[in-house]
Amino acid sequence: MTEWTAGHKLRSVVLVLVLMFTGPWPARAQFVSPCCALLVAGLSSIQSALTKVVGGGLNQILGVDKAMQQFQQAVVWPQNLINQARGIVAALQGNFNQIQNLMKIPINSATLPVSQQLEQILLSHNPNQIAQTSGAYTALYGPIPQTTAAAPQVLNIVDMTDAAAQAAMKRAIEIDALADLELQAANQLNQSIQAAAPGSAPIMEAEADAWLIRANAYTQAATADLIRLRSVDLANASADIKMGAANTTNLRQALANLLQHQ
Amino acid sequence: MQVLVYTIFFATLTWLMMTVQNRRRVVAVTLAGVMVVTLVGAPPSAQAQIGILGAIQAVLNVINGVIQTALTGINTVRTAVNNLQQLVVWPQQLINQARAQITQMIGHYRNLMRNIFKINLNSTTLPAPQALEAIIRDHQVGNFQALTAMFANNYGAIPVVTSASAGDRAISDMDDALALDNLKTLKAADQATDIELQSADAIENSSSQAAPGSAPFLTATAITSAIHAQALTQKLLAAELRQEAARIAHRNTLRKENASNTTQLRGVLLNLLQHQ
Repeated sequence: MTEWTAGHKLRSVVLVLVLMFTGPWPARAQFVSPCCALLVAGLSSIQSALTKVVGGGLNQILGVDKAMQQFQQAVVWPQNLINQARGIVAALQGNFNQIQNLMKIPINSATLPVSQQLEQILLSHNPNQIAQTSGAYTALYGPIPQTTAAAPQVLNIVDMTDAAAQAAMKRAIEIDALADLELQAANQLNQSIQAAAPGSAPIMEAEADAWLIRANAYTQAATADLIRLRSVDLANASADIKMGAANTTNLRQALANLLQHQ
Repeated sequence: MQVLVYTIFFATLTWLMMTVQNRRRVVAVTLAGVMVVTLVGAPPSAQAQIGILGAIQAVLNVINGVIQTALTGINTVRTAVNNLQQLVVWPQQLINQARAQITQMIGHYRNLMRNIFKINLNSTTLPAPQALEAIIRDHQVGNFQALTAMFANNYGAIPVVTSASAGDRAISDMDDALALDNLKTLKAADQATDIELQSADAIENSSSQAAPGSAPFLTATAITSAIHAQALTQKLLAAELRQEAARIAHRNTLRKENASNTTQLRGVLLNLLQHQ
């Protein structure tokens, strides 16, 4: 090979030149290539577009989001004011406990066995004792007279009045028991409110509203029974006048008859 | 692959150059070989450059088109939400105005109402009623025994066994007991009312400094206070029911006794007339 090269220098040079100019040599540094310059310019455009369009747009959104976050933390849900409100809720729990304890103070005052028994039932706050109310009531206020012992109208009035009085007493026991449960529920709600988040507190508020509506309904029921009782009392007063008039007429007639017979 | 093909053709060209003897053939082989290996070795560069530029332009189109439109849209929406929150839902000015109004209402109403509620209602003139009136209005629950004693001072004790019938004594005892029960309940209720007013003041004070996010706590606890107030009202109504029931029961007992007495009187009169 070396001998042939030495003998054919021109051919060797031609071969070398052909190899140099036509060989698929690996690419050299790109920046010296015109196509690479185009690539660089293109990538620069992409970078510029990313920086201005995407980066700029995202920065604007970030700015708005930061403003929203700052506004919500400082104005809408400031942690210190939320903690302060929770503190008030906890402080009010103490007030609620005091009210509950006040309502539990014994107030019994009767001194005689019969009245003590009725009073104990009336102040029991226990609906299971309602059934015993009538017995204790009759023991204290007496039974309805025998049918031969009074006029039917009087018997009706006496029965109606006893019934109204007993119903009111039974309702009083019910209302006391319901009020105890309401106080218990209100305390439970208040404890839940202390542990609530600003977003869950309105849920507890809705539950408390429902309890308040219920409590209003019970108050109305108690008021209704009180009005019923007073209606019966008013009707009794009216009946007394009616019976008094009838009795006076009868007496006048009897006296007239008596005088005529003499 | 291209390098392998080029190597084969270049090796063939070299072999031909080495083997060809005639000078004219050498020139022919050289020209033909140069043409062939040039074709084999030339890379498809022009085609590749056009593809890169197209791709870059496509990316730029996406950035300047879809992405820019989307980001502008998001920014518009977020700005609108921010404005809605700050100008419509929670405007700082109206929040401050609400707080100021609460403070103003505290200043205007609280002491005025407190002073009205503190006006002394006592009206008795004699020592015994004065003592009873004072104790039933003192809002205290630790002096029930004194209350019972003062009640007895004013209204007397239950008749002794020999002074009245058992029924009358029992009814009198029940009337006194329910009156005393209710007076005790009212003392407790008066104290509970004071506590409720304290609760209302505390909630109102906090409301004057509250934020939209802390107000739900105050609202919720105010409602639980209202439930307590309702329960207290119910207990007072229950006391009134007991009292009214006892009152008409008492009257009804008198009606029963009257009926019984009338029947007895009628019997006596009939007997009297028959004997004449």
